[in-house]
Amino acid sequence: MEEARNVKNQHAQPAAAPGNTRNTGPGRLLIAVYAIFAISATARAGYQILTKFSEAPAAYLLSAFAALVYAVATVSLAKAGKTWFKVSVAAVLVELVGVLVVGALSIFDSVAFPHETVWSLFGRGYGFIPLVLPVLGLVWLYRRRPSR
Amino acid sequence: MDGFFYLILAVGLISTVICAAAGIMKKAPNDATLLSVVAVEAALVVYLVGSIIRVIAGESIAGEAWEFWGYLVTAMLLPPAAVYWSILERTRWSNFVLAAVGVTALVMAARMNQIWY
Repeated sequence: MEEARNVKNQHAQPAAAPGNTRNTGPGRLLIAVYAIFAISATARAGYQILTKFSEAPAAYLLSAFAALVYAVATVSLAKAGKTWFKVSVAAVLVELVGVLVVGALSIFDSVAFPHETVWSLFGRGYGFIPLVLPVLGLVWLYRRRPSR
Repeated sequence: MDGFFYLILAVGLISTVICAAAGIMKKAPNDATLLSVVAVEAALVVYLVGSIIRVIAGESIAGEAWEFWGYLVTAMLLPPAAVYWSILERTRWSNFVLAAVGVTALVMAARMNQIWY
């Protein structure tokens, strides 16, 4: 691990469970960004569903689904073990497919997707981070895949 | 956009730049990066106190009041959480986590301004 050599870890070794290499280093940044998205997507979906659900039930349920995916990704990235690794891969893949499909639909079929979700227009409302995040997530998971 | 937003904008951007630069220079979180995040929290406290005074003085929030306060409280939770995390693992990557606080706070402040007016 390159960054472990560059930064001298005085005494504070990562509080990670032994053997878990996914929630240290760059993984922590990834988890932090996923956590921010989980919180903001949950808050937004909750607000949309509580105040104006009847306007666009499909879009707001999609918002809630996106929030769930971000929450699962956040938790699974932070957990050790092969099972959580698989959960992470699944969550990040669902996120990637979601942002691509919803992003494309929101452009080509703006009538069906007039209401904003996190993934609309490939996440433009969120600085395209929703588009970049799953790619970085997959790269990270591949580099830290559990050895068999 | 009001003065509170520009305060968060300035403090948040400075904090993000300091923390990201420290991360790029492969430094572990230090006084400069941690204090810059504390400054973001202080700016948010100013926003909170200022907003309370404005509401007491009779100003009304154009949008949903609870949404505004929800954003503000959530934003105020970010700096302590990030600092706590960066203390748990003192590597350069924690500086990037700290760097995320400033930009997130300023995006949330922009949204809070939209709700207020």
